[in-house]
Amino acid sequence: MSQVGANPVYDAIRSRRVTRRMSSEPVDPELLDLVLEAARWAPNAGNRRLQPVRLVTDPDTLRVLKAVSPGMVPSPPAVIAICLDTRRAEEFGFQPGHRGLYVDIGTTAATLLLAAHSVGLGACPVTSFSRAAAARVLGLPDGTSPELLVCLGHPTDVQPATFSALTS
Amino acid sequence: MTADTGERVLTQESALELLAFLVTAARTQTEEAAEYGPMRLLMGARLLAERMVDEVGDDDVLGGLVSEVAALEPVRTPTRDREAYLAALDALCERVADTLLAQAGRA
Repeated sequence: MSQVGANPVYDAIRSRRVTRRMSSEPVDPELLDLVLEAARWAPNAGNRRLQPVRLVTDPDTLRVLKAVSPGMVPSPPAVIAICLDTRRAEEFGFQPGHRGLYVDIGTTAATLLLAAHSVGLGACPVTSFSRAAAARVLGLPDGTSPELLVCLGHPTDVQPATFSALTS
Repeated sequence: MTADTGERVLTQESALELLAFLVTAARTQTEEAAEYGPMRLLMGARLLAERMVDEVGDDDVLGGLVSEVAALEPVRTPTRDREAYLAALDALCERVADTLLAQAGRA
């Protein structure tokens, strides 16, 4: 553990937090590109890349996406949807619901979260949303399912309490 | 509708937003951890309360309840400190009852 203080990767892992309250300030598109690019470098089984990502910054689309996502606590200025290409997965011989496909959703998400943190953005992963409704909102083709939403934005100074009792 | 004025507290847009939350939450509840159940219901109540806050007028009892619900943290769950969570929820339920009684003229 002696190298921890001089290890920026480890420091980033330790200092990253989920951001549940974001300002409405738009995110610099260059920063979003950097975060998106990181998804390409996420660990991925067999390098099959069956988890396409979709960036959303249009305010109307974001508002509707939030409305069908009960677990989306922030009102983010940007969202990256990590999807699953089930048709290509079938072509590779995956059975529907194969665990490995979802492990790669997780590795993509973890990489995006760290990339966002590295450029000073807050991020909040959301799994509680209607896949059916979100697919409509995102205009995804048949066979492509949104599996995880990553909210991106600038953190506000005050964040909601973490999961605990009803009152603090 | 508020008790005093009979005016709408929800626009068509905000009513649709609440409807969307309730319908999609019903779907996500089939797969989420059970501890999220009360949290989602309270988030729905909060959505409604946020729309009511500016419409309660000078009704202190109703205003107090609505403000409290509108300020609920959206990430509280009963798992980590169940006793405190239930006590707080019971207290909130009592204030709901008090508010309903006051609205019925039985305070």
